[in-house]
Amino acid sequence: MRIVADRARCEGHGLCADVAPEVYELDDDAIVVLLHETVPPELERKAEGGARVCPVAALRVEA
Amino acid sequence: MRSVVVVGGSIAALTAVETLRMADFDGRITVLSDEDLPPYTRVPLSKGVLAGRETADDVVLAPLSDEVDLHLRTPATGLDTDNRVVLTPAGPVRYDGLVIATGARARRIGTANQAERVLRSYDEGLRLRDSLAQASSVLVVGGGFLGMEIASTARALGKDVTVVDLAPPLDRLLGTAVGGHVRTVAARAGVRFVLTHGGVRLLGAPFPTGVETADGQRFEADLVVSAVGDVPNVEWLAGSGLPVAGGVLVDERCRVSPHVVAAGDVAVFTTGDGALTRIPSWTNAVEQARAAAKALLHGDDAPAYRPSRYSWTEQFGLDVKMVGAGDPQGEPVVLDGSLDAGRALLAWPDATAPQTVVAVNHPTPPAKLKRLLARPAMEAAAC
Ligand SMILES: Cc1cc2nc3c(=O)[nH]c(=O)nc-3n(C[C@H](O)[C@H](O)[C@H](O)COP(=O)(O)OP(=O)(O)OC[C@H]3O[C@@H](n4cnc5c(N)ncnc54)[C@H](O)[C@@H]3O)c2cc1C
Ligand code: SF4
Repeated sequence: MRIVADRARCEGHGLCADVAPEVYELDDDAIVVLLHETVPPELERKAEGGARVCPVAALRVEA
Repeated sequence: MRSVVVVGGSIAALTAVETLRMADFDGRITVLSDEDLPPYTRVPLSKGVLAGRETADDVVLAPLSDEVDLHLRTPATGLDTDNRVVLTPAGPVRYDGLVIATGARARRIGTANQAERVLRSYDEGLRLRDSLAQASSVLVVGGGFLGMEIASTARALGKDVTVVDLAPPLDRLLGTAVGGHVRTVAARAGVRFVLTHGGVRLLGAPFPTGVETADGQRFEADLVVSAVGDVPNVEWLAGSGLPVAGGVLVDERCRVSPHVVAAGDVAVFTTGDGALTRIPSWTNAVEQARAAAKALLHGDDAPAYRPSRYSWTEQFGLDVKMVGAGDPQGEPVVLDGSLDAGRALLAWPDATAPQTVVAVNHPTPPAKLKRLLARPAMEAAAC
């Protein structure tokens, strides 16, 4: 599974990182950074959960 | 508990489902939503969607897994708590546990013959976008976050914009210092503000084209938009026996009655001083839904809900993020930058024990803003 982050849309609310700190981080400009190119299987559910709470729908889940 | 029914099709509903699954609830989950679209975010409706830059694809949230039964265009019309069934036009749906997440709709102030323009759903966003594209002047009634964001988008599209309110827009939310700053920036961008004594009346039908104030002044525009707050969707609970008081009344774990929890904009709770309150915001919907789902599974052993009190708004080139108590009073302490320079980190009432921290165009993520708050920063608020 891959997550695609639209960094231009991200507003730095950090809800994704609250849910899945192993998958999402905020950089110095408070913009989301993905910690894995491909999400490891054991983190998939958390990664999806993090994507789902983004208030600006900046995170897409790809199979 | 073998089956959970979630009524509502937005972020509180989605988060409740997510939380149940994360907690390894493997029973059946049915989601009943009266919308045409699967769960989406309303946040861009006043911005990218209204401006015509974004459509449904941009606002729909990551879809639920196929192990969840999502029924769109399926309104709950009644609730029978004795037999534990939700009534719908497609027939009754039985539950062992129920999550009420029916949110709120736009409040209206017009008369029955007026097709008042409001913004809450995606469809309303499309209609407002189309009306806005054809208008050259816009009058926004209500200067809260929503009204001011609509004003910002309309102004960026080159429209002549007036905001009408009873009180200086945003003061009640952001306090006078930041509220005043945002208004100054908005006025510099060309927005006109009108303060009225008493409520306004919408003029014109079917589409309102003006307002009249209590003292008889009239203002006109091609398009009038009402952004005057929201009303919880509780009508379907009439006769169910559930406690409804300007929303569904929940306890400190978001429970309503045995087997029933509620979360998000529909939920009302008692604060420390006994007053009833709702926190209609994205973060609150997420946090209440988590608490509600856990309470459904674990009862008294579930953690009590504590609002983290994070809110934000984007308008007129300003990105404002606020943590802690709303409506901070008086002048802030400047922790970094300055409002005049356009980038600031501000605290109230002082730097040693801040109760409120606001970042304006400042790249401090909310998690760090929260760490700046004095502890214990929590109000005696329940769910
Ligand atoms: C334009 C706009 C911009 C916003 N921007 C921000 C922002 O920047 N930051 C922020 O924190 N908040 C913002 N908000 C508020 C935020 O969107 C809400 O707090 C949030 O959507 C609440 O989620 P909810 O799931 O509780 O309720 P809702 O989003 O209201 O969802 C309720 C759902 O239940 C459905 N429903 C209602 N009745 C029934 C029924 N009888 N049967 C079945 N389904 C039913 C509704 O159709 C809807 O799908 C904004 C709101 C709007 C309108
Ligand atoms: S939740 Fe969305 S807006 Fe917030 S940091 Fe993550 S990607 Fe950015």
